[in-house]
Amino acid sequence: MTADPFTVLGLPADPGLSDEQVRAAWRSIATATHPDRADGGDPARYAAASAAYAALRTPWARSEVYADLMTQPPPAAPRAGRLPARQLCRRVLLVPARVWHGKPSHLLLRALAASLLALAAVRSGAGGPAEAGVVAGLAIWLALTMRGDLAPPPGR
Amino acid sequence: MRIFWAYLQLRVLVWLLRMTGRLLAVAALVALLVAAAPLTLATAIGLFGAWLRGWPPARLWHAAAWALPMTAVYLAGRAVQARTWRGLALAPVHDWSTGWHDVSQGRVVAAFVLAAPLTVPAGLALAGCLWAWRIYALNTGLSGKTATAPVVFDARQWRRQARAARARITAPGTVPLADRHGRVVIGAVIRSVGHRWQPSLAIPYLAFGRHQVIVGSSGSGKTNLMIRTWAGWYAAALAAHHQHGKPRPLLVVLDCKGGPDARVKADRTRRLLHPVGAGRVAVWPDEAAVSLWALPPRDLAVTLFQMVETGTGPAAYYADVMQAVLTLAVTAPPSPPADGAAFLDRLEPGWLEAAYAADPPRLAALVSAKRHLGDISLRYRTLLDRLGPALDHGGTLADADAWYFILEGTRERSVAEAQALALTELVAHAATAPGTEPRAILLACDDYSAVSGKVPLWSLYERGRSLGIGVQVSAQSWQGLGATEDERYRIAATADGGIWLLRTPYPQPVCELAGTRRVIETATKVIGGMWGDEGSSRVQHAWTADPGIARSLDVGQAGYLHAGGCTWVQVARPRPSPLPLPPPPRQPVVVIPPPPAVAEPQTTPAVAGPAALDDVFGQPTPAEGTRA
Repeated sequence: MTADPFTVLGLPADPGLSDEQVRAAWRSIATATHPDRADGGDPARYAAASAAYAALRTPWARSEVYADLMTQPPPAAPRAGRLPARQLCRRVLLVPARVWHGKPSHLLLRALAASLLALAAVRSGAGGPAEAGVVAGLAIWLALTMRGDLAPPPGR
Repeated sequence: MRIFWAYLQLRVLVWLLRMTGRLLAVAALVALLVAAAPLTLATAIGLFGAWLRGWPPARLWHAAAWALPMTAVYLAGRAVQARTWRGLALAPVHDWSTGWHDVSQGRVVAAFVLAAPLTVPAGLALAGCLWAWRIYALNTGLSGKTATAPVVFDARQWRRQARAARARITAPGTVPLADRHGRVVIGAVIRSVGHRWQPSLAIPYLAFGRHQVIVGSSGSGKTNLMIRTWAGWYAAALAAHHQHGKPRPLLVVLDCKGGPDARVKADRTRRLLHPVGAGRVAVWPDEAAVSLWALPPRDLAVTLFQMVETGTGPAAYYADVMQAVLTLAVTAPPSPPADGAAFLDRLEPGWLEAAYAADPPRLAALVSAKRHLGDISLRYRTLLDRLGPALDHGGTLADADAWYFILEGTRERSVAEAQALALTELVAHAATAPGTEPRAILLACDDYSAVSGKVPLWSLYERGRSLGIGVQVSAQSWQGLGATEDERYRIAATADGGIWLLRTPYPQPVCELAGTRRVIETATKVIGGMWGDEGSSRVQHAWTADPGIARSLDVGQAGYLHAGGCTWVQVARPRPSPLPLPPPPRQPVVVIPPPPAVAEPQTTPAVAGPAALDDVFGQPTPAEGTRA
């Protein structure tokens, strides 16, 4: 049987877990699967959980296991102007999470203000070029200021 | 009498003419401002914003530049409509007159939309110019009703700049640990003197590969700043490794004070480093160990010799004997000692004689030193006992991504000094060991003065420079940087990566290193808001980094002194991105051995439930019991 110790104990792959969290996870599995139980338990699962607990027992051990798991480099921001499609796609896919973990209420207010102003400009009847210019200006303002309301990308 | 009346009439007439002229000028100005109402409004808003938030003029010019695409879109649309250059050139004039027509019809919004593409960038640029003039006029005495006006203005602007910077760092996206250009973001800029203004202070991570000094008293926010720079440097260096193939980063922190605070700090550092990609963060000596015996034999012998006290004068003889014995013991065939016990075994006469039986010259040297072996062995047995097992068995620095070494410098100074010596040797070895992966190393020493007895700070700096290791050193005061004034200047003046100055009661020596800037001291008579031709002006020099500001900095405010300039910054509390790094790959690397064969379940029925397992697990805590 091969599995990473975090998965075996039903824990997220996070080296910042505390000793108590790891022990509690092991204990809950061990209590349910111990061979001494009346129903015979689940010896294979018990052994796997015990081995996983041994591997994750100390903070340093958790660091090591986590580092071993991270065999792939984390996503790093590519240089400007050389954005491969996959990374661009990943960036776009990350936006909802960045919004959620950032300041969504601020962002919503900002977007609402920009939208209302753009709507007012469009409905003002000032003519195409001026309206387009104002809407472009509002879009730039929103793009520049909304970055502050997003959570930083992973790894930064 | 008639002459008197005539004189009075003349004076009244002159006064009336003067007042009329002034009124006409004011009326003309008001008419101009009204005629250019959208421009006036944009300029006024820009000026008010700069005054209220303490912005520098550059901030307004940046805003004007970012508003130019609006103008471009407008002009492109007008070009499509006009089809001729003349039509395009007259389009703004046409829109202007249309705007006034809209205003007269009550369509104010339409009028401002028509005018905005041109007036917003122009108004912001104009506001920047007027704001720059206002600052200049106040600083040079051209403006202001009182003599203290420049001082009051400066103090008020500082308060507003600091308030704006504090507000800025609350936005999570403005102060990530590292930006996408490979720079370490420190916080929001309060004020820049001699540096190019930028909203957030971001320093290229390569600057940390040189030397930096941090001076700040206890409680000034030094720890936050240091942890932020470590995590930011690691994130930026790791990104450079993945993108450009630069060396993988290795962070080595020496916490030279020790104590419970150091454990808390280590834990905080670990929690911050994990999300930026540092998987293995080792805390020494609590959780991980390194082996001193991994050093090359010659270096090991020298290090061991330096770790104990040796005297001068007649004692120098014994020092030479000791060094000779150590070299013989460490370099003895077939290989250097693997641990402390093996080393102590070698300090036995019999062992050394057997090892050098085939080497008569060294055997002769050994015979001379034989009578001192007992004393030397005793000294090293004591030393190794005091150093503890964390330097005896263990791996190398390359085994982890980051090391946090806790040295008990305030409790056991001599032991901590010996440990610091050994650890700096290990760092030097990690940087130069042939056949190993090259690493970008940052050696950060917090309160290094607590252990600088055996390795002076300047020596650490110079070694770091020669080995390509970035060294960051913090001290609580200028005096904490070194034992003598010469040593302090030597350390601070060679900090080519910059000096961080936090609140400290004696900042002058550091401020002196930032140099001065030229200011105009004028005694010229001012007439009607402009200089007359009486009096004189001359160039004077003022502090680039004002010691008065440094003394009164709030917690978390710092000055970054580099290249003759100073940027005052509100340091953001280090927080990593809450988004997790990508999940581990599908195929796991860690393999758990298969469970051993399990015997058949016992026939004797056991009591079911957790109560029967307490003898295996111990009594559950209330929380565990609930969870189980």
